[in-house]
Amino acid sequence: MTSHFRKYLRSFSITAAAAMLLTPIAATAQTATSSSSNDRWLHVRVISANDKGETVRVNVPLDLAEKVLPAINKDRLHNGKVRIDHAAEMDGVDCRALLDAIKNTKDGEFVTVQAHDSDVKVAKQGGYMLIHVTEKRYAEGKDGKELKDAKATEKSRVEVKVPMKVVEALFSAGKDELDVLAALRALSAHGDTELVSVKDEENTVRVWLDSKNTAD
Amino acid sequence: MILAKLALGAVGTLAFATVYTFREGTIRVDVDEHRPGGSHVHVWVPAALVPAAMHFVPDDKLLEAACHAREALPIVKIVAAELENYPNADFVQVDGEDEHVKVSVHNGKVYVDVQDHGDDVHVAVPVSTIQDIIENIGDRADRGKAQ
Repeated sequence: MTSHFRKYLRSFSITAAAAMLLTPIAATAQTATSSSSNDRWLHVRVISANDKGETVRVNVPLDLAEKVLPAINKDRLHNGKVRIDHAAEMDGVDCRALLDAIKNTKDGEFVTVQAHDSDVKVAKQGGYMLIHVTEKRYAEGKDGKELKDAKATEKSRVEVKVPMKVVEALFSAGKDELDVLAALRALSAHGDTELVSVKDEENTVRVWLDSKNTAD
Repeated sequence: MILAKLALGAVGTLAFATVYTFREGTIRVDVDEHRPGGSHVHVWVPAALVPAAMHFVPDDKLLEAACHAREALPIVKIVAAELENYPNADFVQVDGEDEHVKVSVHNGKVYVDVQDHGDDVHVAVPVSTIQDIIENIGDRADRGKAQ
Protein backbone atom coordinates (compact mmCIF):
# COMPACT_ATOMS: atom_id res chain seq x y z
CA MET A 1 0.00 0.00 0.00
CA THR A 2 2.75 2.39 1.05
CA SER A 3 4.85 1.60 -2.03
CA HIS A 4 1.77 2.17 -4.24
CA PHE A 5 1.15 5.50 -2.55
CA ARG A 6 4.80 6.46 -2.91
CA LYS A 7 4.80 5.49 -6.60
CA TYR A 8 1.62 7.47 -7.16
CA LEU A 9 3.02 10.47 -5.32
CA ARG A 10 6.27 10.32 -7.26
CA SER A 11 4.55 10.12 -10.65
CA PHE A 12 2.17 12.93 -9.64
CA SER A 13 5.08 15.12 -8.51
CA ILE A 14 7.02 14.52 -11.72
CA THR A 15 3.96 15.14 -13.91
CA ALA A 16 2.98 18.29 -12.01
CA ALA A 17 6.54 19.64 -12.06
CA ALA A 18 6.88 18.91 -15.76
CA ALA A 19 3.52 20.54 -16.48
CA MET A 20 4.45 23.67 -14.52
CA LEU A 21 7.86 23.86 -16.13
CA LEU A 22 6.51 23.41 -19.61
CA THR A 23 3.62 25.86 -19.22
CA PRO A 24 5.66 28.97 -20.08
CA ILE A 25 7.29 27.15 -23.00
CA ALA A 26 3.92 26.10 -24.34
CA ALA A 27 2.63 29.64 -23.87
CA THR A 28 5.64 31.02 -25.71
CA ALA A 29 5.19 28.55 -28.53
CA GLN A 30 1.55 29.51 -28.76
CA THR A 31 2.47 33.18 -28.89
CA ALA A 32 5.09 32.44 -31.52
CA THR A 33 2.55 30.84 -33.79
CA SER A 34 -0.04 33.49 -33.03
CA SER A 35 2.37 36.14 -34.30
CA SER A 36 0.83 36.83 -37.67
CA SER A 37 2.83 35.58 -40.61
CA ASN A 38 1.97 38.70 -42.58
CA ASP A 39 3.53 41.05 -40.01
CA ARG A 40 5.06 44.01 -41.69
CA TRP A 41 8.39 45.34 -40.43
CA LEU A 42 9.87 48.73 -41.03
CA HIS A 43 13.66 48.55 -41.20
CA VAL A 44 16.14 51.38 -40.88
CA ARG A 45 19.82 50.79 -41.53
CA VAL A 46 22.50 53.44 -41.22
CA ILE A 47 26.06 52.61 -42.17
CA SER A 48 28.53 55.28 -41.20
CA ALA A 49 31.66 55.67 -43.25
CA ASN A 50 33.63 57.37 -40.48
CA ASP A 51 36.69 55.88 -38.72
CA LYS A 52 34.55 53.93 -36.28
CA GLY A 53 32.48 52.43 -39.07
CA GLU A 54 29.29 52.34 -37.02
CA THR A 55 26.25 50.48 -38.22
CA VAL A 56 22.82 51.05 -36.75
CA ARG A 57 19.94 48.70 -37.46
CA VAL A 58 16.43 49.35 -36.22
CA ASN A 59 13.55 46.98 -36.92
CA VAL A 60 10.05 48.05 -35.94
CA PRO A 61 6.88 46.02 -36.47
CA LEU A 62 4.30 48.29 -38.13
CA ASP A 63 1.59 46.85 -35.87
CA LEU A 64 3.56 47.96 -32.84
CA ALA A 65 4.15 51.42 -34.30
CA GLU A 66 0.44 51.75 -35.10
CA LYS A 67 -0.46 51.00 -31.49
CA VAL A 68 2.24 53.11 -29.88
CA LEU A 69 1.86 56.21 -32.03
CA PRO A 70 -1.58 57.31 -30.71
CA ALA A 71 -0.20 57.07 -27.16
CA ILE A 72 2.49 59.65 -27.87
CA ASN A 73 1.23 63.14 -27.20
CA LYS A 74 4.14 65.49 -27.22
CA ASP A 75 4.89 68.74 -28.96
CA ARG A 76 3.29 68.63 -32.37
CA LEU A 77 2.43 64.93 -32.32
CA HIS A 78 -1.04 64.13 -31.02
CA ASN A 79 -3.17 61.03 -31.65
CA GLY A 80 -0.91 59.93 -34.46
CA LYS A 81 -1.13 63.27 -36.25
CA VAL A 82 1.55 65.89 -36.67
CA ARG A 83 0.45 69.51 -36.67
CA ILE A 84 2.15 71.68 -39.25
CA ASP A 85 2.34 75.41 -39.38
CA HIS A 86 1.09 75.83 -42.90
CA ALA A 87 1.98 79.45 -43.37
CA ALA A 88 5.53 79.15 -42.07
CA GLU A 89 6.51 75.69 -43.25
CA MET A 90 4.65 75.12 -46.49
CA ASP A 91 5.50 78.54 -47.87
CA GLY A 92 1.97 79.01 -49.19
CA VAL A 93 1.93 75.72 -51.08
CA ASP A 94 -1.41 73.91 -50.94
CA CYS A 95 -0.20 70.32 -50.59
CA ARG A 96 -3.67 68.84 -50.82
CA ALA A 97 -4.44 70.54 -54.10
CA LEU A 98 -1.04 69.50 -55.38
CA LEU A 99 -1.65 65.92 -54.28
CA ASP A 100 -5.09 65.84 -55.90
CA ALA A 101 -3.55 67.05 -59.12
CA ILE A 102 -0.85 64.38 -59.00
CA LYS A 103 -3.36 61.66 -58.08
CA ASN A 104 -5.48 62.33 -61.10
CA THR A 105 -2.61 62.63 -63.51
CA LYS A 106 -0.98 59.89 -65.55
CA ASP A 107 2.48 58.60 -64.68
CA GLY A 108 5.26 60.98 -65.52
CA GLU A 109 7.81 63.47 -64.23
CA PHE A 110 6.26 66.50 -62.59
CA VAL A 111 9.28 68.39 -61.43
CA THR A 112 12.73 68.35 -62.92
CA VAL A 113 15.27 70.83 -61.65
CA GLN A 114 18.81 70.74 -62.94
CA ALA A 115 20.81 73.30 -61.03
CA HIS A 116 24.52 73.88 -60.61
CA ASP A 117 24.58 72.31 -57.14
CA SER A 118 21.82 69.74 -57.35
CA ASP A 119 19.33 67.91 -59.49
CA VAL A 120 15.80 67.30 -58.28
CA LYS A 121 13.21 65.03 -59.83
CA VAL A 122 9.66 64.38 -58.64
CA ALA A 123 7.66 61.77 -60.51
CA LYS A 124 4.74 59.39 -60.33
CA GLN A 125 5.31 55.87 -61.55
CA GLY A 126 3.39 52.63 -61.08
CA GLY A 127 1.43 53.87 -58.07
CA TYR A 128 4.50 55.33 -56.38
CA MET A 129 5.66 58.86 -55.82
CA LEU A 130 9.35 59.14 -56.56
CA ILE A 131 11.62 61.91 -55.33
CA HIS A 132 15.25 61.91 -56.39
CA VAL A 133 17.70 64.54 -55.21
CA THR A 134 21.33 64.49 -56.27
CA GLU A 135 23.79 66.94 -54.80
CA LYS A 136 26.79 67.75 -56.96
CA ARG A 137 30.31 68.78 -56.21
CA TYR A 138 33.10 70.20 -58.33
CA ALA A 139 36.85 69.91 -58.08
CA GLU A 140 38.41 72.84 -56.22
CA GLY A 141 41.70 74.60 -56.72
CA LYS A 142 44.29 75.38 -54.04
CA ASP A 143 42.46 78.58 -53.21
CA GLY A 144 39.34 76.58 -52.38
CA LYS A 145 37.50 77.96 -55.35
CA GLU A 146 35.77 75.82 -57.91
CA LEU A 147 37.92 75.02 -60.93
CA LYS A 148 36.74 76.32 -64.24
CA ASP A 149 35.29 73.64 -66.52
CA ALA A 150 35.43 71.12 -63.67
CA LYS A 151 33.08 68.19 -64.15
CA ALA A 152 30.44 67.58 -61.54
CA THR A 153 30.61 64.45 -59.43
CA GLU A 154 27.96 63.06 -57.14
CA LYS A 155 28.18 64.34 -53.57
CA SER A 156 25.05 62.75 -52.24
CA ARG A 157 22.00 61.01 -53.54
CA VAL A 158 18.58 60.78 -51.93
CA GLU A 159 15.92 58.49 -53.34
CA VAL A 160 12.45 58.37 -51.85
CA LYS A 161 9.81 55.97 -53.13
CA VAL A 162 6.47 56.18 -51.38
CA PRO A 163 3.27 54.42 -52.43
CA MET A 164 0.70 56.99 -53.55
CA LYS A 165 -1.85 55.49 -51.15
CA VAL A 166 0.51 56.26 -48.27
CA VAL A 167 0.95 59.84 -49.45
CA GLU A 168 -2.82 60.21 -49.75
CA ALA A 169 -3.31 58.80 -46.25
CA LEU A 170 -0.67 61.17 -44.91
CA PHE A 171 -2.61 64.17 -46.17
CA SER A 172 -6.03 62.74 -45.31
CA ALA A 173 -6.33 64.64 -42.03
CA GLY A 174 -7.17 68.30 -41.59
CA LYS A 175 -5.52 71.09 -43.53
CA ASP A 176 -2.79 71.66 -40.99
CA GLU A 177 -2.11 68.08 -40.07
CA LEU A 178 -0.23 65.10 -41.35
CA ASP A 179 -1.90 61.81 -40.43
CA VAL A 180 1.13 59.63 -39.72
CA LEU A 181 -1.03 56.87 -38.25
CA ALA A 182 -3.16 56.61 -41.39
CA ALA A 183 0.04 56.58 -43.45
CA LEU A 184 1.40 53.71 -41.35
CA ARG A 185 -1.84 51.78 -41.84
CA ALA A 186 -1.67 52.33 -45.57
CA LEU A 187 1.94 51.25 -45.52
CA SER A 188 1.18 48.03 -43.66
CA ALA A 189 -1.26 47.05 -46.41
CA HIS A 190 1.55 47.39 -48.90
CA GLY A 191 3.98 44.76 -50.13
CA ASP A 192 7.75 44.70 -49.66
CA THR A 193 9.19 47.99 -50.77
CA GLU A 194 12.26 50.19 -50.51
CA LEU A 195 11.17 53.55 -49.15
CA VAL A 196 14.22 55.73 -48.64
CA SER A 197 17.79 55.45 -49.73
CA VAL A 198 20.40 58.09 -48.90
CA LYS A 199 24.02 57.89 -49.83
CA ASP A 200 26.61 60.52 -49.09
CA GLU A 201 30.24 60.72 -48.03
CA GLU A 202 29.45 60.02 -44.38
CA ASN A 203 26.43 57.76 -44.28
CA THR A 204 24.43 55.26 -46.19
CA VAL A 205 20.84 55.15 -45.02
CA ARG A 206 18.22 52.68 -46.12
CA VAL A 207 14.59 52.49 -45.00
CA TRP A 208 12.51 49.61 -46.28
CA LEU A 209 9.49 47.47 -45.54
CA ASP A 210 9.23 43.70 -45.57
CA SER A 211 7.99 40.70 -43.60
CA LYS A 212 11.30 39.72 -42.00
CA ASN A 213 11.89 40.47 -38.33
CA THR A 214 15.61 41.02 -38.81
CA ALA A 215 17.56 43.38 -41.02
CA ASP A 216 19.65 41.77 -43.75
CA MET B 1 9.27 5.03 7.49
CA ILE B 2 7.85 8.25 8.93
CA LEU B 3 11.19 9.95 8.34
CA ALA B 4 11.17 8.82 4.73
CA LYS B 5 7.66 10.22 4.24
CA LEU B 6 8.69 13.49 5.86
CA ALA B 7 11.77 13.67 3.65
CA LEU B 8 9.67 12.95 0.57
CA GLY B 9 7.20 15.64 1.61
CA ALA B 10 9.99 18.14 2.20
CA VAL B 11 11.70 17.35 -1.09
CA GLY B 12 8.36 17.49 -2.93
CA THR B 13 7.48 20.85 -1.38
CA LEU B 14 10.92 22.18 -2.17
CA ALA B 15 10.65 20.95 -5.75
CA PHE B 16 7.21 22.56 -6.14
CA ALA B 17 8.41 25.78 -4.56
CA THR B 18 11.42 25.85 -6.89
CA VAL B 19 9.36 25.12 -9.98
CA TYR B 20 6.75 27.72 -8.94
CA THR B 21 9.41 30.35 -8.26
CA PHE B 22 11.15 29.82 -11.58
CA ARG B 23 8.01 29.26 -13.68
CA GLU B 24 8.27 32.74 -15.20
CA GLY B 25 11.99 32.47 -15.76
CA THR B 26 14.70 34.65 -14.30
CA ILE B 27 15.82 38.23 -14.44
CA ARG B 28 19.49 38.27 -15.20
CA VAL B 29 21.90 41.17 -14.84
CA ASP B 30 25.57 40.71 -15.67
CA VAL B 31 28.04 43.57 -15.44
CA ASP B 32 31.70 42.99 -16.20
CA GLU B 33 34.26 45.75 -16.28
CA HIS B 34 37.29 44.20 -17.92
CA ARG B 35 39.94 46.47 -16.44
CA PRO B 36 42.08 46.46 -13.31
CA GLY B 37 39.82 47.04 -10.32
CA GLY B 38 36.75 46.72 -12.49
CA SER B 39 33.64 45.31 -10.90
CA HIS B 40 31.87 42.11 -11.80
CA VAL B 41 28.23 41.87 -10.84
CA HIS B 42 26.10 38.85 -11.66
CA VAL B 43 22.53 38.78 -10.40
CA TRP B 44 19.92 36.13 -11.10
CA VAL B 45 16.48 36.76 -9.65
CA PRO B 46 13.41 34.58 -10.19
CA ALA B 47 11.01 36.75 -12.17
CA ALA B 48 8.03 35.48 -10.16
CA LEU B 49 9.43 37.20 -7.07
CA VAL B 50 9.44 40.67 -8.61
CA PRO B 51 5.68 41.40 -8.46
CA ALA B 52 5.71 40.23 -4.84
CA ALA B 53 8.77 42.34 -4.04
CA MET B 54 7.09 45.38 -5.63
CA HIS B 55 4.53 45.34 -2.80
CA PHE B 56 7.32 46.04 -0.33
CA VAL B 57 8.47 49.18 -2.14
CA PRO B 58 7.14 52.20 -0.19
CA ASP B 59 4.34 54.06 -1.96
CA ASP B 60 6.13 57.41 -1.88
CA LYS B 61 9.21 56.00 -3.63
CA LEU B 62 7.10 54.31 -6.27
CA LEU B 63 4.94 57.40 -6.76
CA GLU B 64 8.06 59.44 -7.30
CA ALA B 65 9.18 56.98 -9.97
CA ALA B 66 5.69 56.97 -11.49
CA CYS B 67 5.74 60.79 -11.61
CA HIS B 68 9.03 60.78 -13.51
CA ALA B 69 7.75 58.14 -15.91
CA ARG B 70 4.21 59.48 -16.22
CA GLU B 71 4.54 60.43 -19.89
CA ALA B 72 6.31 57.25 -20.88
CA LEU B 73 4.19 54.85 -18.81
CA PRO B 74 1.29 54.40 -21.30
CA ILE B 75 3.77 53.91 -24.11
CA VAL B 76 5.84 51.35 -22.20
CA LYS B 77 2.61 49.59 -21.23
CA ILE B 78 1.55 49.24 -24.86
CA VAL B 79 5.03 48.17 -25.97
CA ALA B 80 5.25 45.57 -23.19
CA ALA B 81 1.84 44.18 -24.10
CA GLU B 82 2.69 44.11 -27.80
CA LEU B 83 6.08 42.47 -27.28
CA GLU B 84 4.22 39.24 -26.53
CA ASN B 85 3.37 39.11 -30.22
CA TYR B 86 7.04 39.19 -31.16
CA PRO B 87 8.73 36.41 -29.18
CA ASN B 88 11.87 36.41 -31.33
CA ALA B 89 13.08 39.65 -32.86
CA ASP B 90 16.04 42.01 -32.96
CA PHE B 91 14.78 45.57 -32.53
CA VAL B 92 17.92 47.65 -32.29
CA GLN B 93 21.49 46.81 -33.12
CA VAL B 94 24.41 49.22 -33.06
CA ASP B 95 27.85 47.98 -34.06
CA GLY B 96 30.84 50.23 -33.82
CA GLU B 97 34.56 49.69 -33.48
CA ASP B 98 34.47 49.28 -29.68
CA GLU B 99 30.77 49.55 -29.03
CA HIS B 100 28.00 47.07 -29.55
CA VAL B 101 24.43 47.50 -28.42
CA LYS B 102 21.61 45.07 -29.04
CA VAL B 103 18.01 45.15 -27.88
CA SER B 104 16.14 42.00 -28.74
CA VAL B 105 13.43 39.63 -27.63
CA HIS B 106 13.98 35.89 -27.57
CA ASN B 107 11.59 33.31 -26.17
CA GLY B 108 9.56 35.97 -24.39
CA LYS B 109 12.53 37.67 -22.75
CA VAL B 110 13.81 41.16 -23.46
CA TYR B 111 17.59 41.21 -23.82
CA VAL B 112 19.72 44.33 -23.63
CA ASP B 113 23.35 43.64 -24.42
CA VAL B 114 25.93 46.40 -24.31
CA GLN B 115 29.65 46.10 -24.94
CA ASP B 116 31.43 49.40 -24.52
CA HIS B 117 35.22 49.60 -24.73
CA GLY B 118 35.71 46.30 -22.92
CA ASP B 119 32.87 46.73 -20.43
CA ASP B 120 29.99 44.32 -20.78
CA VAL B 121 26.45 44.73 -19.54
CA HIS B 122 23.84 42.08 -20.22
CA VAL B 123 20.28 42.33 -18.94
CA ALA B 124 17.54 39.80 -19.56
CA VAL B 125 13.98 40.36 -18.30
CA PRO B 126 10.87 38.32 -19.13
CA VAL B 127 8.26 40.41 -20.96
CA SER B 128 5.63 39.27 -18.43
CA THR B 129 7.72 40.74 -15.61
CA ILE B 130 7.93 44.11 -17.37
CA GLN B 131 4.14 44.04 -17.74
CA ASP B 132 3.73 43.23 -14.03
CA ILE B 133 6.04 46.07 -13.00
CA ILE B 134 4.36 48.61 -15.29
CA GLU B 135 0.92 47.53 -14.11
CA ASN B 136 1.98 47.77 -10.49
CA ILE B 137 3.48 51.25 -10.94
CA GLY B 138 0.38 52.36 -12.90
CA ASP B 139 -2.01 51.06 -10.24
CA ARG B 140 -0.07 52.66 -7.41
CA ALA B 141 0.12 55.94 -9.32
CA ASP B 142 -3.66 55.87 -9.91
CA ARG B 143 -4.28 55.11 -6.23
CA GLY B 144 -1.92 57.91 -5.23
CA LYS B 145 -3.76 60.33 -7.51
CA ALA B 146 -7.13 59.29 -6.09
CA GLN B 147 -6.03 59.87 -2.48
